[in-house]
Amino acid sequence: MGITNRIPGGETSANSKTVMGIRKETIEGILWSLPYLAIFTVFLVWPAVRGLYMSLHTYPNKFDLSQTEWVGLQNYVELFQDPVFWNAMEGTFLFVGISVPLLVVLGLVMALGVNKNVAGKRTLRAIYFSPYVLTVAVVTLVWAQMYSTSFGLVNYYLGFIMENPPGWLTSANLVMPALAFMTVWWLVGFNFVIFLAARQSIPERLYEAAQLDGAYGWRAFKDITLPQMRNSVVFVVMVQFILQFQVFAQPYVMTQGGPQDSSDTLVYYLYRSAFSQQQFGYGAAMGYVLVAILIVIAIINFKVIGDSND
Amino acid sequence: MTDSTIRSQIDSDRVRNALLHVFLYGLAFLMAVPYLYTISRSFQPNELLRDPRPYWIPPLVGEPVTLEHYQYLLNNTLVVEWTINTFVIAGGATLLIVVIDSMIAFSLTRLDWPGQGAILGIILASFMVPYYMNIVPLYQIVADLGLINSYWGVILPAVASPLGVFLLYQFFRDIPEEYEEAARLDGFSTFQVYTRIILPLAKPILSALALFMFVYNWNAFLWPLLVLSNETAYTLPIGLVNLYQGNIDTPGLHMAVAILGSLPLFIVYLLFQGQLVRAVQMQGATG
Repeated sequence: MGITNRIPGGETSANSKTVMGIRKETIEGILWSLPYLAIFTVFLVWPAVRGLYMSLHTYPNKFDLSQTEWVGLQNYVELFQDPVFWNAMEGTFLFVGISVPLLVVLGLVMALGVNKNVAGKRTLRAIYFSPYVLTVAVVTLVWAQMYSTSFGLVNYYLGFIMENPPGWLTSANLVMPALAFMTVWWLVGFNFVIFLAARQSIPERLYEAAQLDGAYGWRAFKDITLPQMRNSVVFVVMVQFILQFQVFAQPYVMTQGGPQDSSDTLVYYLYRSAFSQQQFGYGAAMGYVLVAILIVIAIINFKVIGDSND
Repeated sequence: MTDSTIRSQIDSDRVRNALLHVFLYGLAFLMAVPYLYTISRSFQPNELLRDPRPYWIPPLVGEPVTLEHYQYLLNNTLVVEWTINTFVIAGGATLLIVVIDSMIAFSLTRLDWPGQGAILGIILASFMVPYYMNIVPLYQIVADLGLINSYWGVILPAVASPLGVFLLYQFFRDIPEEYEEAARLDGFSTFQVYTRIILPLAKPILSALALFMFVYNWNAFLWPLLVLSNETAYTLPIGLVNLYQGNIDTPGLHMAVAILGSLPLFIVYLLFQGQLVRAVQMQGATG
């Protein structure tokens, strides 16, 4: 305390003390980091390493995981020859291909609309964002009823304009679009609020200057809005790719991957392999393949939307 | 410009603005339909649930309303216990996240020690690891530690998330050095700098982070599903789905449980909407 801590030259007290030759600040720095680092290491870093080990082994005894058998890359080889895996891959890409563009475009349209001179912005924002706070369990429960072929709300209204409206969750062609549409309802608010913040941070003078040059509407959007919002677009696209690629609860709760495996997904298959069939090495290998796919998608994303308009 | 072209310009602006309102409010209505439907069906008597005709609230004259689904849930299921479990898990995880994430963010930004750059790099790189990739080995580790069916088995992996560290790191880094230097000269210890200078300045971001983490962990699905296999230990999302899969033919019950399961978070949302939205927007701004 007091005068003894005042070191000439602006050095602070924590910098100067040493304990057994180590600066006190170094010790403090490590101690303050330790609680997080310990949990981070045990529950995030260690699993990633152990997953690699598991993916190179099989577990012949389902009840005793200390018995392992080295199989090298056999799990990966089997995976790439597994038709269920490829079917789940197809389902995942179909789901991602429908949900991500809708999530991004609709979120953007909603944000640009609300940013305009409209009455009741707060109410609109509250409604648009609200489904995001629901758990996926509630979302699937509610939409399973809405989509019900004979008793659902969707088909009740469709019944007025068409005969025999389709079974949304029981038709192989419609089930993935139906799950994707539901997911858009659930999560679009996340993108909407991010885009809204990004749009609101664009200085209005940019638009005023452009108007003098006669740039309105579409041209102002293309020349000012999109380039200025590029970072948030890249962020939202990335986040949604990563999230939607890991779709699990929707097929798990609503369809169990059916009908005819048409709504199976990679994470759902991973879950079944590891936790229903106890093929832990196989499941771990699938986890690693998932990461590889996501990394490739990330690189493509940055190449396609990250670099343009520079 | 003649009078008439100006007038037609104003008219077309007005039409455009009206169309915009129709679009935005129409969309809001459509997005709210699942809520109205859920509420309405949860009060609909069992014998009417086979009727696909929606039954809007408030009911038309003569349409009966029942509380039987809610009564059944409260009397015959563990929905109250599940709510308490979820509260303990989401609250515990949030508290731990806010405390230890702010500690390490403080250490990485306000203290100077060798190796901190490398540690920050590793934490940031872990963002690239999709959560689900780890579930198989993580399950084995949690099992080895004897944490299956325990709250800690859900909480600790959630606390490992780097999101909070990243957000707080960015915020703490931008706090001007001068505050801290002045405090140090007044003889503040490191702990006092953290509690009296940094934490008060970071209050808005800490509360936004806390709220986001609470919602996120309240809603978590796959991990609690794996770890909590004992019905009395379920969180709400897991209990809800189990109830659904056990009685597929009771829509009124599902709608009532959907209401009970989302009510706590909806109240939180109504009270703290601004902070939650800010937490999401912060993520977008840093991305």
